[in-house]
Amino acid sequence: MSTIAPQFRLSRFIASLFDIIFWVLLIFSLVGLPIVFIILFYIKMPIVNGQMLTPYLAMTWMADPSRTLPIIKTLLHTTFFHVIAFPGFGFAALLAAATIFVERKFLAKIQLRVGPLYCGKIEGILQLMGDGLKLISKEIIIPAKADKPIFWVGPLLFVGTAGAFVSLIPVARGWVVANPSVGLLAVFATIGFFPIISVLTAWAANNKWTFIGGLRALHQMIAFEIPLILSLLSIVILTGTLNLSQIVESQQHYWWIVFAPISAIVFFICIIAELERIPFDLPEAESEIVAGWLTEFSGMMYGLIQLGTYLKLYAFAGLFTVLFLGGWNGPMVWPPFPADIVTHGITIGPITAKIPGLPLFDQDMLNGTLWFVIKTVGVILLILLPRGVFPRIRIDMLLHTGWYKLIGLAFINIFIALGLLYAGVLGPGGLIQ
Amino acid sequence: MLHMVDAVFLALSVLTIGSAIVALEIRSLIYGSIALMLTLSGIAGFFLLLDAPFVAMFQLSVYVGSIAVLILFTVMLVRRELIFNKIEDKRRRYAGIGLMLALMLGIGMIIIGSGMKSMETNSASVDYKKIGADFLTYYSPALIVMALILAASVVGALTLARREDITSDQRTD
Repeated sequence: MSTIAPQFRLSRFIASLFDIIFWVLLIFSLVGLPIVFIILFYIKMPIVNGQMLTPYLAMTWMADPSRTLPIIKTLLHTTFFHVIAFPGFGFAALLAAATIFVERKFLAKIQLRVGPLYCGKIEGILQLMGDGLKLISKEIIIPAKADKPIFWVGPLLFVGTAGAFVSLIPVARGWVVANPSVGLLAVFATIGFFPIISVLTAWAANNKWTFIGGLRALHQMIAFEIPLILSLLSIVILTGTLNLSQIVESQQHYWWIVFAPISAIVFFICIIAELERIPFDLPEAESEIVAGWLTEFSGMMYGLIQLGTYLKLYAFAGLFTVLFLGGWNGPMVWPPFPADIVTHGITIGPITAKIPGLPLFDQDMLNGTLWFVIKTVGVILLILLPRGVFPRIRIDMLLHTGWYKLIGLAFINIFIALGLLYAGVLGPGGLIQ
Repeated sequence: MLHMVDAVFLALSVLTIGSAIVALEIRSLIYGSIALMLTLSGIAGFFLLLDAPFVAMFQLSVYVGSIAVLILFTVMLVRRELIFNKIEDKRRRYAGIGLMLALMLGIGMIIIGSGMKSMETNSASVDYKKIGADFLTYYSPALIVMALILAASVVGALTLARREDITSDQRTD
């Protein structure tokens, strides 16, 4: 016998259902609909079929498919979509998630292991989803003597800063979330926040391993930030601009890696150090200090830090592509949208459907995105590669590399760039445009 | 009519001044330095409102990215009795507030008297390339003096940090 509802009456059950339906309808019509219309009045509506779409007509897109595509097209160019989906968070998170899985399989293949195998039928393809579910369902444990506000805020700040970094990377022509005139300086300002966040969360966890790891992270990031900035100065000298989109536009005929190879190498090494990857993964050296500054994080807090780390990896790889590998520039390989669909519509048997608003994306943008993704994935694979091959280096070697060797090398390429500029070979008004 | 810019200005002012007061008054040194970071970020926000993104980004990367880290480092690694000798006194406190008010009033009088109140608000923002060109032409002596001061301070810091009694036995290759 059921003890959950001993006084069960079907009539009361049905009455309560009607009750709920009545209240939902009442609240929706009195509160929900006005809110929807207030929001719609503030959103800039597109012009469809020569007619301004008023909030009263906004719902008609559900009934009339010819209105749907123009509305979607307008949505694609809103800041909201840019931030949430395409050049912003969604796109980067998708690439970051793919990177985590590819990294595990790729390293396994290098080291003659099998890697994830059982989750999902083919090559453990569902492993990432399983890990994510595990992290979400895990209990979040806060150490008793931790400094709770900083400890809670740390992972969120980390993801937020990584997201701010991602927003500065231009993916295709005109497709970038934030395009400030001082984009490269904004990048420097953004990556300056990472050491603060790591050392604060490390301190807040109140654990010796986290604190040692945090101090190592601070040392390492500060040491490698200076050659990172110096290595990019040669690009700024050659292009005469700090705007990332203009830097990409300046590489239509040749990539800057041709004229600044030493800068590219220095920048690449600094990327690996800033990302705390092997051979520079001292801040989370698992065989010495448990997991470094991440030791006390559990559940989704660790998941957020992990997400932030891979967003940062994508952003750095994208920055390398933008600065040295020509960004979205590349030969046009994307096929053009079939013209007769635009002019005559799609004909299936006796029915001809004419769809206004096609094509959804122009060919230039799709081609640019394709080249950007190909180059960025290549750089990401190159960043992953040392993890399968190299051991971890000692901290004095790390600091020596950062403060002596890389700064010197970065200066060499600055002088090469200045020489090319003053010889009149490159730059504004140079021989090679 | 409150414009968007005014609302942002007010929010930034509250953030900057509020976190500055917190930085002075809070007992915990770590929270104090975090509040100081917020103050410095708020000032970067003011620079952004003034159409000077170049200065704003340098404010963020130098003050928040480097100097705040230095302060955090000092606070975390040095015992606080060694840096701070706390003397709490109501009279000192009110004297400090009075002194600050007098100073701000004085500076305000000077600024209002200097004719800066007739500021042009709709002029175009200055390009950072022009700032660079000015630094290398008209203001080059100032740039050279600044470079010399920085170099001297780096040499001084190296001299202070150098210790004769420790011989390095660690390999550096």
